[in-house]
Amino acid sequence: MTAVAPTHSFTRTHRAPVHRIGATVRIHVANPWTTLISPWLILLVVFGLNFAIWHLVLMAAGDRGVEADAFHYNGGVSWIVFYMVVVAVQAMNQTFSFVVGLGATRRDYFVGTSALFAGLALMYGIGVSVLAGVERATSGWGVNGWFFAPGPFATMPLWEVAVTYTLVLLFMFFVGSGVAAVFVRWGATGILTFFASVAVLLLATLWAITQADAWASVGHFFTARSPLELALLSLPLSLVGGLVGYGLMRRATPKG
Amino acid sequence: MTAVIEVAGLTRHYGKVHAVEDVTFEVEENTICGLLGRNGAGKTTLMRLLTGQAFASAGQIRVFGESPVENALVLSRTCFIRETQVYPDSFRGKHALRAAERLFPNWDADYAAQLATEFNLPLDRRIKKMSRGQRSAVGAIIGLAARAELTFFDEPYAGLDAVARELFYSHLLEDYSKHPRTIVLSTHLIDEAAKLLEHVIVIDGGRVIINDNSDALRGTAVTLVGAKSAVDTFAVGREVLGTDVLGGISSVTVAGLSPADKAAAAAAGLEVAPVSLQQLIVSRTRGTVQPQEALS
Repeated sequence: MTAVAPTHSFTRTHRAPVHRIGATVRIHVANPWTTLISPWLILLVVFGLNFAIWHLVLMAAGDRGVEADAFHYNGGVSWIVFYMVVVAVQAMNQTFSFVVGLGATRRDYFVGTSALFAGLALMYGIGVSVLAGVERATSGWGVNGWFFAPGPFATMPLWEVAVTYTLVLLFMFFVGSGVAAVFVRWGATGILTFFASVAVLLLATLWAITQADAWASVGHFFTARSPLELALLSLPLSLVGGLVGYGLMRRATPKG
Repeated sequence: MTAVIEVAGLTRHYGKVHAVEDVTFEVEENTICGLLGRNGAGKTTLMRLLTGQAFASAGQIRVFGESPVENALVLSRTCFIRETQVYPDSFRGKHALRAAERLFPNWDADYAAQLATEFNLPLDRRIKKMSRGQRSAVGAIIGLAARAELTFFDEPYAGLDAVARELFYSHLLEDYSKHPRTIVLSTHLIDEAAKLLEHVIVIDGGRVIINDNSDALRGTAVTLVGAKSAVDTFAVGREVLGTDVLGGISSVTVAGLSPADKAAAAAAGLEVAPVSLQQLIVSRTRGTVQPQEALS
């Protein structure tokens, strides 16, 4: 047997798809600030402010005290939910031209980015739920204050809180990835057109509901379902957001 | 010889702009090919098409025998460094190198570190805050250390000083000889890069107007300098690429002279000077030619 000499000095030419997809994930977190650190920091700042306000209110109330459920309703945690749209848009806009510009396929980029978003949704979902657990163990941080699992979340088992958050965050990521894809494909003009269309559609929906005198049944739709059930309904929407984003990215051109 | 790039009838329109128009050429494996032309000639568009980043309006592209569009097997063997290479805002120099390590199978981290030292690149600085030259150096380092089988450099050294450019040229040549690969280099600094180029493709107005071995190309034209009357007499009936008259002295750049023709010109009292690649290309792309000093 004679060994066949390699035709050139390159040996590690092909890599498995999983490696190529992993490369995109790693590039997103090469500098972890945007995706991994800043959301936690800002969430903790928002929590700190709420915590201070609770104490301020207690101090002002003095001996009279406050009602038992005074700090039961708090929207502070929704901040991290909506911030995920920003994280998604930033992450994609920042890395698409770099990663695809250097020679990755749009498909590998999109699958890698989606995997990252799913991972982030899970991480933040579980993280917030762990904090909700601490909140319960300390009877609302010692002041009966409910920040991480407020209102209707307060009575849900922790695993349900985690699943709900994860699904809602996932939805926000794929809304973000859809918006980012519009921007990467069509730039600022695309974004303006997109949001104008969304505004028109939203108004048309409100108009139709009002005209059909259907607000009661819309309200019922939401109140009759638990947060988890509503979150589950977002799954198909997340999927649509992802598919639309991918469809747009397929023909997008890296800048620069 | 195997062709790494095969292009046939390639066309790309942006609205009414014909960025690339019916282009056909091949690039052989393991050569350094210069892709030259004026600003807006279509060089960058062509490279974007070849790397699957832009989409052809018509025609065929084969890279490693396959279409590059969304083709991971082709693209993972390809590296494209642009003049205006973009990096994520949050990236420092080291992040860019780490990212490249993930993307390129043949990445040589030691070589990248060595290049960073030689280029004096502050790896801990945010790329956004780097000077133009430093940013170009990041691209040059990635392009070299990636050791991709097919590497495109699009004006890789905007803002790099002469020392850094020399460093880039010598590394390119040295690493190319150690690890032969196909390199397509687009540049405005034709004379500087000329010594590297084995093959030259010149595009003008989206069309390929020269596609030749660079040695053969250099021999295709000469500049003749002498008394205006003698020059004019000799030039009659020949392919004149450019003329320059100063007082009674005239210089013309003439294509297609045989050795016998050159001897005849010398006998007629004309100075026969070789034309540099840059002069040749300038004259072919509708500019005027400056005569090069005669070789004594």
